[in-house]
Amino acid sequence: MRFRAKIVDLACLNHFSRIINTIAKLAKTCILRLTVCKLYFILSDKVANGGASMWCELSQGNFFDEFQMEGVAAEHNEIYLELVPENLSRALKTAQNAKAVKIKLTNKHCPCLSVAVELPSLSSSSRIVTHDIPVGVIPRRMWNDFREPSVPDFDVSIYLPALKTMKSVVERMKNLSNFIVIEANLSGEMNLKIETDLVSVTTHFKDLGNPPWASEDGCQSSAQGRDLESMAEACIDIKKLQQLLAGQQVNPTKALCSKFNSSACEFQLNIVRKRIVHFILLHEEVSLQYFIPAVA
Amino acid sequence: MYNNFVIFPLELFWRKTQCFLSLAVFGRAIHAIARISDEFWFDPVEKGSVLPVFRCVNVLERNVEKCSISTNPSEHHITFQLLCRHGVVKTYNLTFQECDPLQAVFAKHMCPNILKVHSRLLADVMIHFPTSQEEITLSVTPMKVCFKSYTEEDTDFSRTMLTEIQLSPEEFDYFQVGVDSEVTFCLKELRGLLAFSEAASVPVSIHFDRCGKPIAFSIEDLLLEASFILATLCEAEKEAASPEPACCPRPWDSSKTGMDKSDQTSMDGASNADTAASRKPQQKGNTPSRNSAKPPSALAKQEVENIPRGTERDVPGRAGAAMAKAAGGEATEAPYEKFHSLFFGAISYKEKEAIGDTFQSLVTASDTEESGALQSSQVL
Repeated sequence: MRFRAKIVDLACLNHFSRIINTIAKLAKTCILRLTVCKLYFILSDKVANGGASMWCELSQGNFFDEFQMEGVAAEHNEIYLELVPENLSRALKTAQNAKAVKIKLTNKHCPCLSVAVELPSLSSSSRIVTHDIPVGVIPRRMWNDFREPSVPDFDVSIYLPALKTMKSVVERMKNLSNFIVIEANLSGEMNLKIETDLVSVTTHFKDLGNPPWASEDGCQSSAQGRDLESMAEACIDIKKLQQLLAGQQVNPTKALCSKFNSSACEFQLNIVRKRIVHFILLHEEVSLQYFIPAVA
Repeated sequence: MYNNFVIFPLELFWRKTQCFLSLAVFGRAIHAIARISDEFWFDPVEKGSVLPVFRCVNVLERNVEKCSISTNPSEHHITFQLLCRHGVVKTYNLTFQECDPLQAVFAKHMCPNILKVHSRLLADVMIHFPTSQEEITLSVTPMKVCFKSYTEEDTDFSRTMLTEIQLSPEEFDYFQVGVDSEVTFCLKELRGLLAFSEAASVPVSIHFDRCGKPIAFSIEDLLLEASFILATLCEAEKEAASPEPACCPRPWDSSKTGMDKSDQTSMDGASNADTAASRKPQQKGNTPSRNSAKPPSALAKQEVENIPRGTERDVPGRAGAAMAKAAGGEATEAPYEKFHSLFFGAISYKEKEAIGDTFQSLVTASDTEESGALQSSQVL
């Protein structure tokens, strides 16, 4: 098993760091899956994670100038590593004006991802900072635990409002209650509700728009059979929602990196009534899915 | 001159009953020291009672015009008066307790390795280590300098992220490496000095030797001089027996454990085995930070005295065994006795000529919660 990669472009490095920071806020430990073309950060829905799960996918070509990997075997050309994303986030934090960052899979005292940051210095030779992040290699027989979750058969799909607004609403609601109800309908309306003995608070959003989903037979008529006004709701742990929103970094509107031209992004929400809430954050370069199960 | 030394120089108060000083600098010094210990030579009785006086340095700079410090030894009272704008005067009365001084001297110029670098560079280096990182290792050869996270044999590598920074000698304003060495010391406490020196924007000098011998970080400026002297971890396997112990025992009894250890090492030729057993650094709470701040207007520049070897040491309470050991040239006793001191000296524009003064830097060891011994370093 071998892996080495290098980032030279500062904008790509910063973008990659931001993504890692987001992941670090959502998961204490997660799986990093490496394939020839992509990187995945996976959190499976074990009880230990509070039932929440995450699937984040990046195309390596959008970030790395060099990327070489050799998986466990020719027909299984992938690597699965368990790591603490906070460590990776910390290693990249001080690389903001780095000349280059190299990441390598090594085995010193134990398997590690070695992140070597080359920093400019006052002298002719650069300063090199090396961080050895311990990782656990996941054996092939366990790979099935980390398959991509399928999109649930949702009742409603809706675009989210501006994350900043939603974040400030949820943060204040968090002070009042441990659980929040999210409901939305197919007319572009969404409500966030909390209810306690003393108070109930609802924030209404409208004109959000609903993403088009093609049904199995290729047409989009499935939505028409449903009542557009009826709300699908799910009650979830407010902390999980708050963590998801807090982890989203502000994205500048102009181009982030020479490798792609726009930072267009979509945030949408799928609700399965009383079962699960599924957030999809789609950027051109990265997609993040986060599932929060509903509480009874 | 008073016979009982109180914990800050009495000469000051012999000549003047009050002194004024640069607030921002003093406030920052207090912050630096507060990082090391709750106890501060200004107030051994109440933990942290001085820090609040200087808590918000920025506010101090804006509002306070002068700070006067005065003492009333008979009533064991020290008074800080902040004379602020608009005629507001804030007065803080704190009690202090007298204690016996120890002498701690460190001959910087005898160190084979000397590095001098701007505080900014050190801050840039330390930022790569997590704030929870307790100890780091500095490794030097004439060709390179490396700071890395400290690991010991029982470190769980599968859970620990390790960081290493390599610098070239060219980055240093002054670079002298007489002996290849690898020294491990406490980073957490050093951060206080780093913050202070960065604020003062002065270069930092690092004097050190082989592992086991203390390392000194010092800064010097027109008006002040500060040194942090830290013990370094003595790797029993690597240690060549040094002719003098790096640390000298503490003069009172709470160091019984320490005494036992040193008794053993003095009698037992295989000192390495014992020292290895007691290797685990007695970190927490074991930080006798001292300081003998001398406000600038009052005193002569404090020279770090070079006391020649063989001078009688101030170890009244210690067993004879330890002394015999010292004379006998055994390797150090318990390998990681910590000692920290901050000497905060300042030059007075009035009294520069008083260099011959036998002004002694007053260092007191604090009580520790742990049974481990605290040492005062008398490396020569």
